[in-house]
Amino acid sequence: MIPQDTFRDMITANRAVALAVLRAKPKVISAYPISPMTSIVEFLAEFVAEGELDAEYVRVEGEHSAMTVVAAAEGTGVRTFTSTASQGLAYMHEVVSAAGGMRLPCVMFVANRTLMSPGGIWPELSDSMPERDASWIQIYIDDNQQSFDMILQAYRIAEDPRVLLPVMVCGDGYILTHSSEAVEILGQKEVDDFLPSYQAEHAYLDVERPTAQGIIVPPHYHMEAKWQIHQAMRNAKQVIQEVNDEFAKTFGRDHGGLIQTYKMEDAEQALVVIGSISGTVREVVDELREKGHKVGMVILRVFRPFPSEKILAALKNTQSIGVFDRSFSFGSAGQCFLEIRNALYGLDIPIYNFIAGLGGLDVREEDIRFMFEKLTSVKDVKDIDDPIIFVNTRGVTV
Amino acid sequence: MKLSELPDEGPYTSGDRACSGCMAANIALNVMRILGKNTIVSVPPNCMSVFAGTFPELNWNVPYFHMQFANLASTLTGISRALKTLGKDDIVVVGFGGDGGTGDMGLQALSGAAHRNENILYICYNNEAYENTGIQASGSSPYGTWSSTTPVKGKLRGNENFPKDIPRIMIAHDSSYVATASTYHIQDFIRKIEKAKNLRGFRYIEVLAVCNPGWRVPSHMGPELMKEAVDCGYWFLFEYENRKLTINKNPKFTGLREFLSKQDRFMHITEAQIEEMEAYIQRRWKSIKSLESIEE
Repeated sequence: MIPQDTFRDMITANRAVALAVLRAKPKVISAYPISPMTSIVEFLAEFVAEGELDAEYVRVEGEHSAMTVVAAAEGTGVRTFTSTASQGLAYMHEVVSAAGGMRLPCVMFVANRTLMSPGGIWPELSDSMPERDASWIQIYIDDNQQSFDMILQAYRIAEDPRVLLPVMVCGDGYILTHSSEAVEILGQKEVDDFLPSYQAEHAYLDVERPTAQGIIVPPHYHMEAKWQIHQAMRNAKQVIQEVNDEFAKTFGRDHGGLIQTYKMEDAEQALVVIGSISGTVREVVDELREKGHKVGMVILRVFRPFPSEKILAALKNTQSIGVFDRSFSFGSAGQCFLEIRNALYGLDIPIYNFIAGLGGLDVREEDIRFMFEKLTSVKDVKDIDDPIIFVNTRGVTV
Repeated sequence: MKLSELPDEGPYTSGDRACSGCMAANIALNVMRILGKNTIVSVPPNCMSVFAGTFPELNWNVPYFHMQFANLASTLTGISRALKTLGKDDIVVVGFGGDGGTGDMGLQALSGAAHRNENILYICYNNEAYENTGIQASGSSPYGTWSSTTPVKGKLRGNENFPKDIPRIMIAHDSSYVATASTYHIQDFIRKIEKAKNLRGFRYIEVLAVCNPGWRVPSHMGPELMKEAVDCGYWFLFEYENRKLTINKNPKFTGLREFLSKQDRFMHITEAQIEEMEAYIQRRWKSIKSLESIEE
């Protein structure tokens, strides 16, 4: 049995996610196995079988149905959970988008993994990045404690009446999902106080009060509905920060909310990162700081809504910026890079886009050093011929 | 419930935008008269989602949920499971899928729901083509039929495939209840819908739905064609319950030619094609009849 009180354990991110879901007490869980997410739904199946979690566990025949089951259950007014990765998320796509548009406060964990082709099972953000336009909030974690904490925060954010949007909590496959770290699992009472049971108050299926959900509408209602999502995303920025601050105040762990900065106060060169690479970058920043280089790091915690204002505030006084992307929008650039450059529009700060770790390729400290060297070498915007650099890429000289 | 006890009004309200003589609308109207207000409905993209489910003019006076083409059975599953956790599993969760959304794109979700014996009622209105997008052949289209993707041109003489037997696929899942129906045979229809309403577990009812534009027939001919379809063996009426199949009406096996001749979708059909259809009807009849003799 899982202790009811707060405890610490050496566990993987997948185990921490499963324990967060146990504490959040969803009523309906549905998923289809796919690496590197699978152990989450194995743990949840055990919790349900042992009576520790009172939930309907629906073993569906594919991810499309998994997302459908949780969306329809949310539409009926109950808290849910699902998880997937890679092809599974792509297979879900049309339902993911529908859940966002229907304002269903679903929570999903995505164990980031490359999307074919070429095939592979290792970490890449090419699965979750294409979902950035699906009206979901996207949170990216970078350690196992966050995987527990952010699942709990995700429910609070999603279910907030000012938001009512689904939340995708994304974490690098294997690097987080299969590596163990010390994680504090909050007690049931503490979690119940932070995240009370869900009472749907918006549109949900109720025979006493018939409503229609997800229906076909003429274009003028369509425009209005989409504008409302835009407003909800704007509201979400504030709610995400509030939830982070309350969590930090209550439990002593501040994950930054929308972004997190590291040694940015006087930084001249900054690397903007997403996901678990932040640990490696932190090491290199410390090393370069010791040598007198004024370098820092910005971690993107939330990709949707995109924290443009926070990014601008954090980066406006730097001399050069590098953006790390573990995914790529072919024919353009890395998705994070595009957002960052947009947020800094009008500033003459040179920005590089470092594409690294695709297909799970190890991103080493020397790769991060190379990125900072590149940032130090550039003097102004005109110096940059091609901002996109594929780091440590077979057959490519940079 | 007898026909005389069928309420005049039900939760499917008047004023939908279905084509004149649409038998799918007729099915929705009559199913909802029987199911009543303690019902939640889901319809995937199909004719019905357009003619009865376009905001702000809806014909469903019950909670209504519209999802995608391939996932009606999973949508019903999510609603049903959520209701169970809320202690409201007396509510009937019903879906209306067309034949394409049921037997083609939706078959995987349907199979999953049947396999898990989800507590849902799945109504397939089979109008034998993708009528909503303008009469394209589906996996349920009859052999020899014209459709906009099975043209009668050059060397093509309409649809070269025979339809999938979706009820038999559902029987193969050992579903709680599987039935075929027609709204012309209204007593049989009422009995089956009412029985399904009161049963638990996975229930599948497939109803023949004449589509006037798709079948290229005048709008008054729906009921007449459904009667003839049953008489000539084009459409069998049966039900499967407790692992036993019952034939509800024995076909006369006469009148296929006349039945086909009334539909312009078959106007090009050759004698050889009719013989192929006759052979198919007999093959299918034997397959269905063979399920009758299965003993517990």
